[in-house]
Amino acid sequence: MTVAAGFGYVLISLGPALSLFVSVIAKKPFLILTLLASMLFWLISLIVLSGAWRGFLPLKSASWWPYVILIVTSVGFQEATRLIFWKLYKKLEVILDAFAEEKFRSRLSWTDKMQIALAGGLGHGVAHAVFFCVSLLTPSFGPATFFVDRCSHMPFFLVSAIISLGFMIIHTFSMVIAFNAYAEGRKLDQIIIPIIHILAAVMTLINLAPGGCAIGVPLLYIIGGVVLRHCWQMVWRKLTEQGNRQRNSSDIHVS
Amino acid sequence: MAEANPNSNPGVLETLGEEIVRIVAPVSACMLLVVLLVTALSSSSGGGLASIATIAYSDDSSDSFWDKLKGALLSSLSFVVLITLLTFLLVLLFYLRCTRFLKSYMAFSSLVVLAFLGGEVFLLLISRFYVPIDVVTFSLLLFNFAVVGVLAVFLAKVPIMVNQGYLVIIGVLVAYWFTLLPEWTTWALLIAMSLYDLAAVLLPGGPLRLLVELAISRDEELPALVYEARPVEHLPGAGTRLWRERRDLASNSSSNSNILEAGDPASQDTSLVIAEEGPSVSALTAPFLQQQLERHGEVELEGIGLSSSGAIKLGLGDFIFYSVLVGRAALYDFMTVYACYLAIMSGLGITLLLLAFYRKALPALPVSIALGIIFYLLTRASLEVFMVQCSTNLLMF
Repeated sequence: MTVAAGFGYVLISLGPALSLFVSVIAKKPFLILTLLASMLFWLISLIVLSGAWRGFLPLKSASWWPYVILIVTSVGFQEATRLIFWKLYKKLEVILDAFAEEKFRSRLSWTDKMQIALAGGLGHGVAHAVFFCVSLLTPSFGPATFFVDRCSHMPFFLVSAIISLGFMIIHTFSMVIAFNAYAEGRKLDQIIIPIIHILAAVMTLINLAPGGCAIGVPLLYIIGGVVLRHCWQMVWRKLTEQGNRQRNSSDIHVS
Repeated sequence: MAEANPNSNPGVLETLGEEIVRIVAPVSACMLLVVLLVTALSSSSGGGLASIATIAYSDDSSDSFWDKLKGALLSSLSFVVLITLLTFLLVLLFYLRCTRFLKSYMAFSSLVVLAFLGGEVFLLLISRFYVPIDVVTFSLLLFNFAVVGVLAVFLAKVPIMVNQGYLVIIGVLVAYWFTLLPEWTTWALLIAMSLYDLAAVLLPGGPLRLLVELAISRDEELPALVYEARPVEHLPGAGTRLWRERRDLASNSSSNSNILEAGDPASQDTSLVIAEEGPSVSALTAPFLQQQLERHGEVELEGIGLSSSGAIKLGLGDFIFYSVLVGRAALYDFMTVYACYLAIMSGLGITLLLLAFYRKALPALPVSIALGIIFYLLTRASLEVFMVQCSTNLLMF
């Protein structure tokens, strides 16, 4: 049971990411590199954050307001790093486009760009799951499990695996939405993404209350669902409008 | 994903970076195996390791900080001196064209690694997981494993996958034994090796540099254990054929006809990295990276050749020391493993970028090891406290 449970937790938190990786990313070397770069980027942002908070941790007091500050600063910082990531990618995209033009006589298609955004988002999501959940799962492979007082219905590892899965979804697809919003200059989406991120983070604050995880986790998944739906809508809209345009232009292209 | 792209030819995403992924994948596999080995066996094997690396000093937990530091510095220094001497010996032998001797020596040392280190590791695994197996079967399997390994690496023509697989296995075995060294010695050794690597590849008289230049001027294979990623074929068939010819060349090194240099030699900018095997019990390796840019025929096809198809070569020593770093991190915690993995990969990426820029053999250890150690320290010092504080309260963002 023990090893099985450990693998189960790992698969809960990383399983969907794994299937995304196998089905979309693994065949395209450039996406693998994007994924690795994005994981590294996220890790660096986390290390900077932890360095900044090093002096105040561990928090001794039982009050919740230090946690609020921690969450707000962290999310703010991470949204800033998302912007930096976008700026860097923008520079890279110019080079990529030139390269594609020279080599394949075609520029990056919008699906290519979206896949790059997906790989970048998946990198953030996987890094999140790995550092917040999987790296703490080592004890769960042993003969015991662990419960926290405030969430005593389920083992601690199960709760954190479920939460990190929710964040994996949010990180992955909000990156797709954000990149698209930056590229098209859609102000609304650009603002929505940080708001969703901070809302999701605030939902985990509910876990501080006794028994709060029974409310916080479902709310987190509702946010995840909203992100997924929004992303799907956006992709669908692009699919239809670009599909029409492509059909018109492809005749010219071929000739 | 909907492929709205009507072009049937592969796009940028499929082709760009393929060379890098082909070197990143085996390095990752090697690290993963070492981490799994270390975590599976760390509790069961408590015994220290007596080898050439502990020649000057053997770590004792009761020693003071300064004693440990002094001892670790001393042993890594003696280790590096030894490697330097052995590498010069290798260069000398190569210069004197004792290729046959070098080849058989290296075949012998990989046999030792596979049979003895491998056998030891398998024994540990068998006792750890209570695998029911009798002595006769085990020795038969081990014998076959080792002999096939030696043939695959040096002597015979085998499928590339087998050759590469065995190279990775040799790396894993050696790296596992390095993780048994005392902690301080490991860190000192890693730093010392990257400095040595830097000097040996870049200084004018550096042994590895001499070796590469010699090999280039004579147009011979380097007498060393090198992982060679299969070149990416832009022209179907061209890459594999080239690779096979190269293997042929290696297997009968007496015939040095230039099948390989079908193109004009000027366009061939060779250089990069290798690992050579030193004769210590824990086979040793010095690293560097070799890349070949072969622009066969593509020049006329592609106009100004942005396209450079070529195999990246990474010395097995780089594999080993990357894995040692990750394995050592695995002895502390998994969080450090992930951080070190990402750091090493980014170091490798930086090295490859530099490689594309300078087009000559570069040391692959220094950047990666430096980043790895920095990330290890940062993770241990600050990230871990932060993560534990957040996660145990079920706070995430």
